[in-house]
Amino acid sequence: MATTTTDTAQTSPDGQSSPGNRPSDRLTHDDYRELLKQLYLARYFDVRLIKEKKRGRLRGTLYSSHNQEAILVGSLYGLEPMDWISPIHRDMPAFFLKDFRSGWDNPDRMGMTIEEVCSQVWGKATSPGRARDNWSHIGSKSKRIIHSTSMLAGTIPAAAGVVLADRLNGLNTVAVTYNGEGSTAQGVFHEAINFAAVEKLPVVTIIENNQWAYGTPTHYEYPLEDFARRADGYGIPGLVADGQDVIDVYNKVMQAVEHARSGNGPSIVECKTFRAYGHGDHDDDRAEKYRPAEEVEKGRKRDPLHVMKTRMIEMGILTQEEADKHPAEGKGASEVTDADFPAEVSEYLSRGVNFAVKAPLPDETEGAMWVFKEGE
Amino acid sequence: MAIAVTPDTKKNYLTALKEAIAEEMARNPDMICMGEDIGALGGAFGVTDGLIAQYGRERVYDMPISEAAIVGTACGLCLNGKTVMVEMQFIDFISCGFDQIVNMTATYHYRTAGEVNIPMVIRGPAGAYGGGALYHSQMNEAWFANSPGLKIICPSTPYDAKGLMKAALRDPNPVIVYEIKDLYRKREIEEVLPEEDYVVPLGKAKVVQEGDDVTIVTYGQNVYHALGAAEKLKEEGFSAEVIDIRTIVPLDEDTIVESLKKTNRLVVVNEAPRTCGFAGELLSRMTERAFEYLDAPPVRITRMDTPVPWVKPLELYVLPSVAKITEAALKVCRY
Repeated sequence: MATTTTDTAQTSPDGQSSPGNRPSDRLTHDDYRELLKQLYLARYFDVRLIKEKKRGRLRGTLYSSHNQEAILVGSLYGLEPMDWISPIHRDMPAFFLKDFRSGWDNPDRMGMTIEEVCSQVWGKATSPGRARDNWSHIGSKSKRIIHSTSMLAGTIPAAAGVVLADRLNGLNTVAVTYNGEGSTAQGVFHEAINFAAVEKLPVVTIIENNQWAYGTPTHYEYPLEDFARRADGYGIPGLVADGQDVIDVYNKVMQAVEHARSGNGPSIVECKTFRAYGHGDHDDDRAEKYRPAEEVEKGRKRDPLHVMKTRMIEMGILTQEEADKHPAEGKGASEVTDADFPAEVSEYLSRGVNFAVKAPLPDETEGAMWVFKEGE
Repeated sequence: MAIAVTPDTKKNYLTALKEAIAEEMARNPDMICMGEDIGALGGAFGVTDGLIAQYGRERVYDMPISEAAIVGTACGLCLNGKTVMVEMQFIDFISCGFDQIVNMTATYHYRTAGEVNIPMVIRGPAGAYGGGALYHSQMNEAWFANSPGLKIICPSTPYDAKGLMKAALRDPNPVIVYEIKDLYRKREIEEVLPEEDYVVPLGKAKVVQEGDDVTIVTYGQNVYHALGAAEKLKEEGFSAEVIDIRTIVPLDEDTIVESLKKTNRLVVVNEAPRTCGFAGELLSRMTERAFEYLDAPPVRITRMDTPVPWVKPLELYVLPSVAKITEAALKVCRY
């Protein structure tokens, strides 16, 4: 797996970012601590739900974001509340991490509450979509989260549309879309990025390059070393980030976001990572059919929690003792316990889970509702 | 847009559509047009002629040849408060944007439990009989009738074209408009249009001609073939009632049922292919609702289960015609 932190791309918006000139240089120690906490929360969300799923308490498929949390946390951290995002199946934590900086429990936050996200996972009437489509297929017009379908890359044109509408209304917003490297082979991926480039729309396309499109490796998906080079064909910046390093993700995404917000148009940010488990929980037992165990072993080694802790120790923000207090890194869902996480993290999610478990199912007759909107 | 109108000026179907779109652009500042070559060229058939001069690129977008991105971007615009008219250069090309229409746009209201609605109109020239061959002749409305969440209309007169288009552009849901390109400049159907603002509500069929012996239900270009068949039937002593459903989804079943109570005989005509075409849906709904009123087995005249071929004898061979409708209706009348 590539661990390059090249700022890449001859087309990089502001050339090589040098120390002192990186977006992360403006982060405070408190920001670092918050980012670490968010990494813990994203990880805890994943492993807790895997456990709940294995106990048979959940329907549908869980697409683990385990080992890919730095991409979500790092890319969302610098966005403005009014910015748009379009997460996909492996990005469940994004729904509550959006605008998390405004306060985890701030009722005016432009992201979903933990209760809403858990309600969706449990298929309850209190879900923002009233549990009409499963798992990650939720969104919020008011919170500015685009609702995805199962046809991946299909929300990139919608992202172009929402920011175009904002621009027409005089609002300077950015849309960040999430995609696996697999969906980049879809025609709509090309169509949408091409149009966004033509129109200089503020759309940042994040590629979570986890090396595997379900059972197909990248060398059967596209012929490039760095997928980000695809950007050259659209005349837009293509950046490569170390997807295990929340700070590097933050830096590259913020470069792209600032480029977009300044009216210079879209970018592609390729975050190199590794899918630590199967495509979905249904696939975990079969993943060995197509992925050698050594590759999985190697791919799990650079846990984003570990990478961030190491960085913070080097910077003197964290002591080794503090870092070892909650050793969740490197552990799978079956090995990890609540003690491996800070209490405020497990308590926060537990609140959502408890709410969702008690929430009612939607009334069956809702199945036939809302096909059409009635005229005003 | 200021269009000089003398009250007795007859207008063609194309002008009616053009006026509807221009008037809605003037009425609704949040309306945007997107499509291929719809700017300076004014669209392949001129339906959007003059819009870019008046509204500029902020509201009229010449788009790359990317139907999926056109529909998808329009969907995002609608999600964020705009109304978008999407022009398909030919309705045949709509297949290139299929996923964005049926999975993204059509389902948006449903999957968000009503939080989001998508006021989008997708319109384009459709229909055969003009030598357009396989990819410029289609009537593919059944694909979309089978995808819940989309309304579908198909006007056959200038009056309906304008009124239905306006209703579609004011509807809070996605609407697909099948414009019959062979009627765009057809002199015989030109008519005087009301000077004042009007809409033709979606979901209302129209009895084009009253009759007592058989009901011919159709839409689009076949309305005129049905009227031609009605003339022939008259010579044979039968009077046919012709119904133009105008809206495919939602279907006005009541108007057809009322007619069948009177005529007791049903012929359905549709230029789409037979298998799973909308004619089959019309027949089964009427069989469910009006079986007891029927004195003869209902029949449908459709295109054969073939693509639309190019050269005239081939094209006409596979499509419904006055002769085919007449023959079928006579059999039903004499059953």
